[in-house]
Amino acid sequence: MDVEALSVRRHMIGLLLRVTFRSLYNRGQKAVDVAPIRLTITVLLIALIWCALYFMFELVFRNLQRTPLEATVALPLIFNFFFMAMLAMLTFSNAIIAYGALFGKDESAYLLTSPLTPLDVVTLKYVESLVMASWALVLLGLPLMISLAGLVDRSNQALFYGLFLVFFLAFIPIPGALGLLLAWLAARVIPRRAARVFAVLIGVAIMVSIFWGMRSLQTSDDAMEIWLRSFQSRMRFVRAAFLPNNWVASGIDHAIRYQFTEAFLYLGVTIANALFLSWAVVRFVARYFDGALDRAMTGHGEGVRYGAADSGGISRLLFIYLPKPLRLIATKDLRVFMRDPMQWSQLAILFGLLFLYLSNMPTLRIQLSGLGWQLMMPFLNLCAVSLILATFTCRFVFPLISLEGRKLWLVGLLPIRRNRVLWAKFSFAMTITLAVAMSAMVMSLIVLELNVFWSITHLTVTASICFGLCGISVGLGARLPMYDELNAARIANGLGGTTNLLMSVVLVAIVLTGVGVATWRSRFLPFTETPAVSSIALCVFSVLINLIVGLLALRLGGNHFAKAEV
Amino acid sequence: MTTDDSPAVSLQGVRKCYGSKVAVDNLTLTLQRGELFAFLGPNGAGKTTTIKMIVGLLQPNIGEVRVCGHHIGTNGLAAKAQLAYVPDQPFLYEKLTGREFLYFVAEMYNLTIAQRDERIANLMARLDFSEYIDHLTENYSHGMKQKVVLAAALLHEPTVLVIDEPMVGLDPRSIRTVKELFVERTRAGGSVFMSTHTLDIAEAVADRIGIIHHGKLVAMGTLDELKARARQEHSLEEIFLGMTEADDGC
Repeated sequence: MDVEALSVRRHMIGLLLRVTFRSLYNRGQKAVDVAPIRLTITVLLIALIWCALYFMFELVFRNLQRTPLEATVALPLIFNFFFMAMLAMLTFSNAIIAYGALFGKDESAYLLTSPLTPLDVVTLKYVESLVMASWALVLLGLPLMISLAGLVDRSNQALFYGLFLVFFLAFIPIPGALGLLLAWLAARVIPRRAARVFAVLIGVAIMVSIFWGMRSLQTSDDAMEIWLRSFQSRMRFVRAAFLPNNWVASGIDHAIRYQFTEAFLYLGVTIANALFLSWAVVRFVARYFDGALDRAMTGHGEGVRYGAADSGGISRLLFIYLPKPLRLIATKDLRVFMRDPMQWSQLAILFGLLFLYLSNMPTLRIQLSGLGWQLMMPFLNLCAVSLILATFTCRFVFPLISLEGRKLWLVGLLPIRRNRVLWAKFSFAMTITLAVAMSAMVMSLIVLELNVFWSITHLTVTASICFGLCGISVGLGARLPMYDELNAARIANGLGGTTNLLMSVVLVAIVLTGVGVATWRSRFLPFTETPAVSSIALCVFSVLINLIVGLLALRLGGNHFAKAEV
Repeated sequence: MTTDDSPAVSLQGVRKCYGSKVAVDNLTLTLQRGELFAFLGPNGAGKTTTIKMIVGLLQPNIGEVRVCGHHIGTNGLAAKAQLAYVPDQPFLYEKLTGREFLYFVAEMYNLTIAQRDERIANLMARLDFSEYIDHLTENYSHGMKQKVVLAAALLHEPTVLVIDEPMVGLDPRSIRTVKELFVERTRAGGSVFMSTHTLDIAEAVADRIGIIHHGKLVAMGTLDELKARARQEHSLEEIFLGMTEADDGC
């Protein structure tokens, strides 16, 4: 081995990037070869979302332009908040991805045993996490930035498209570098479970922000003008001169006013800081990488010991209605779920946000002057709960059967009919979704003081939606499984997962249309009066369709699962 | 010290802890050039931790590790240029073909295109993986992955080959080839540090054997020396069981 030659070209970042691009190319090629329809649909859907966002933002900006005084105040605030939120979200997502890439994957270990410097490895992972963490937000943020060009003369629009794009891209490395630093700190301070801790922290941060935001938005008896001043005063911190979001927002604000000297100054400040921060953080992390990696690999000590209650503990009570073999499977699933913070934390975040929203409803002081709003508000809450349930079942319930793939030999040997395993999965999913969704709906109904008929209707529809969605996810999970895949997120994103998502959304849309029409027709009825028979029939139809679809999906999946060969 | 007469691997008084658990305790051993060393021990004895310290993935709390005279902590790049490491779970980029992966490794170690092509052809023929070399590695079985990873490790003809459980997933013909490759490597002046549970292989090819238990090196020497120490003329399996059970108080 020629050590001297190696020492001459110590930095091999070019080679590493080429390999990464080659992997990406192969991935794309495979997607084109194996699943062209899926790829086309994905691209079309992204384009659709992108265009919808573009036209929505453009409409907002054009309306704002009609009232120049409000636009002068609102635009800088909107951009300051937007980039502030981006700064926080991108920092955390970069931290999670950088941590996983640097301290949690075999690739880092492999590269570090090769004649590569830690600087090469850290630089590669920084670039990767920057792209992976930011692409979705960039994709969704670009319509906002580009639609801004609609505010200027048509003759100058080309310049503005470019300028706003540069502003946006120059900003991205700042949260990227902060995220990398956070990942390194996590490896040093809280090794092993850092990614999970990050996920929980993000959730808590979002909830606190929303809680604080809603408190800030609540109106008081004071005049609107006083409230507005007070609100602006509370929001002043986002305009602090040292915050990156303020550089970008100020630069854009100046550009819109054709003050190009100031705009380019802010752009220069953003680029300079992004480059310096990236350079400094990558060097720092590379310099102290060995110690952090060692700590991440060994800092867990002997690991957490879990007690194994043979009776299942609390799980036994939760699934007491199930026969023993099914209870054992459901208990096992619940244990796995509760011991994986990535799973329960996402459920907690989704429903935590919903509970925050519901608990803040009275403080919004919306004038519920007519019965129409009294019915519409709970209906909107039902929509929110249903959509969250659809998200949850697609992400967590659908992969349950696929994840049994490698253990199907065990499940197959159990002294029960194989399709009964599906009922165990279904019971597990129903128990969790029912517990959370029903508590949210009960809270909503109590807060809004809805009458008995509509309270019972909403609770029954919620329970039936849980049934329908869990049935679809378990049934399709068994009909379109990915037994070779161990990653639940990939299973949920596969062809079966996408089909499941579409089916769930269609079911929710049908059910909510039924209940929505009934609600709309009844909105001006006296509070104590029972709705018309046709409205009641629509609600019954909504419940029945959930039950029928759920049962059909379970039957379809059960038949397939009984004959499955792995 | 970076001379050719320095030992291939040297661990001096190495200790490594995972929190309060001592994984490796006061380990001193030397692997000479041209030597094939088999590192044995029960599950959780400290074999993989030791290997990770040799290749620079873990840092000892106490003691020092050198590869060909280079301190792995302070002069890691020079040390790693002499090393090849095959972990117990072989790593491959899933979205690269076996050939693309081997090209990547060859470029990382500065092989010329002629050297690269010749060595890949040779290893491919001997380990018999030409059939799937141009397929994405995500479709490989464990044994296929192991063959490609072994080929990648041998591609740059390392001075020290560190390998954790080399035979897992390999078919009998491949096991024989791998044994031959190891012996050839040592005859050419290279060294092999092999951790294994397959005692027959250790018995057949190792020049020296070390047994680690509860993080401590409980025995080291040639097979004959170990037999003499155990005062019996039995197989390595019986010696191994005797030494590890005795310490457990069984």
